[in-house]
Amino acid sequence: MENIKIVIDGKEVEAIRDQSVLDVARENGIYIPALCYHPEVEASGGSCRVCLVEAHQNGRMRLVTSCNYPAREGLEIKTDTDLVRRIRKGVVELLLSRVPDSDVIRELATRDGIEDTRFFKDEGDNYRYKCIACSLCTLVCEEVVGVSAISMLNRGYEKEPGTPYHKASQACIGCGACAYACPTQAIAMTDEGALRKIWGREFSMVSCSVCGKPYIPEAQVDWIVKTTGKERSFFDKCPDHR
Amino acid sequence: MAVDTKKVDEIIAGYEKSEESLLAILQDFQREFNYVPEEGMEKLSELFGVPASKIYAMGTFYKALSLEPTGRHTCKVCTGTACHLKGASNVVDVIGRQLKIRPGETTKDMRFTLQTVNCVGACALAPVVVVDDKDYYEGASPQNILKNLKNYK
Repeated sequence: MENIKIVIDGKEVEAIRDQSVLDVARENGIYIPALCYHPEVEASGGSCRVCLVEAHQNGRMRLVTSCNYPAREGLEIKTDTDLVRRIRKGVVELLLSRVPDSDVIRELATRDGIEDTRFFKDEGDNYRYKCIACSLCTLVCEEVVGVSAISMLNRGYEKEPGTPYHKASQACIGCGACAYACPTQAIAMTDEGALRKIWGREFSMVSCSVCGKPYIPEAQVDWIVKTTGKERSFFDKCPDHR
Repeated sequence: MAVDTKKVDEIIAGYEKSEESLLAILQDFQREFNYVPEEGMEKLSELFGVPASKIYAMGTFYKALSLEPTGRHTCKVCTGTACHLKGASNVVDVIGRQLKIRPGETTKDMRFTLQTVNCVGACALAPVVVVDDKDYYEGASPQNILKNLKNYK
């Protein structure tokens, strides 16, 4: 690990070589909007295009996605120029056209002073009414959880995350990591009593022996026991009462 | 529709057990059964240790693979610009009415699957109808195309 210095919005900040510019900015309290990037998911980022910034290097400037652009010595980043704002306006308007019902995208638009999109609005009772097809959920399922119960299906404007044949997936462990990671809260997960519903499948939950609160799906306990060799009795109590 | 599991095993046995073989196997399924059967994908996932969702995603990505059973013959009507101007939509309508299916669907007797494609690169022959990816019918009109389709059983 090599410590370097880069400049973001005129401010010199510390960074590690090849660390993502977005991470550096966040560590230093500089706001760059971003949706599809998650610092714990290596393959994430580069898909929503919201985190665009100007990267000045070797006398040249390029518009790059800050979430997957490596910090290097001599790099200067500008996050809030006319060009960045103009291009991001287009990006946000396109997102708005795909998911006009999403609160997250609407908030992003308001922040940039965008009232409406110039493009066709994909409105109505649509299964993907909040999904921006960034594939973060499938990456989490593959990389972090390790089950790959969902994948990105189809392509083009029909691209969407889903289980094979849209049937209840046998691989799914009901952990809900995809729903937590989703930047636009597009994945439906409901917990009712000791029953969790996600991706068309129902999971019965294990309840804490102290407080009685259902807190983890049985299938997830099975998975953790199987992959890490942890004692099953460890899951008798919820994290609050261990 | 049940598929011949022996045939599935036979196809898989012909390949090395690695992720790289997946697409080739799916293509073989498509050739053998005219579609990629669910049983085949499940088997692959089991044997190769590749998540079922990834194989399914592959099946949805490539236009050359169909996840639903298709007919013994595919009838592709070109609806590219030149064919469109020469009345391709009439051809689609007439074939659809005759076979009682819409584009993308398959007849009940599994004889035909009707598809529309955007330009087959033979605009001088417009409107073009391609059957089974090898028989090109040029200057297709509602009258002559139905006559030609009769030759496919």
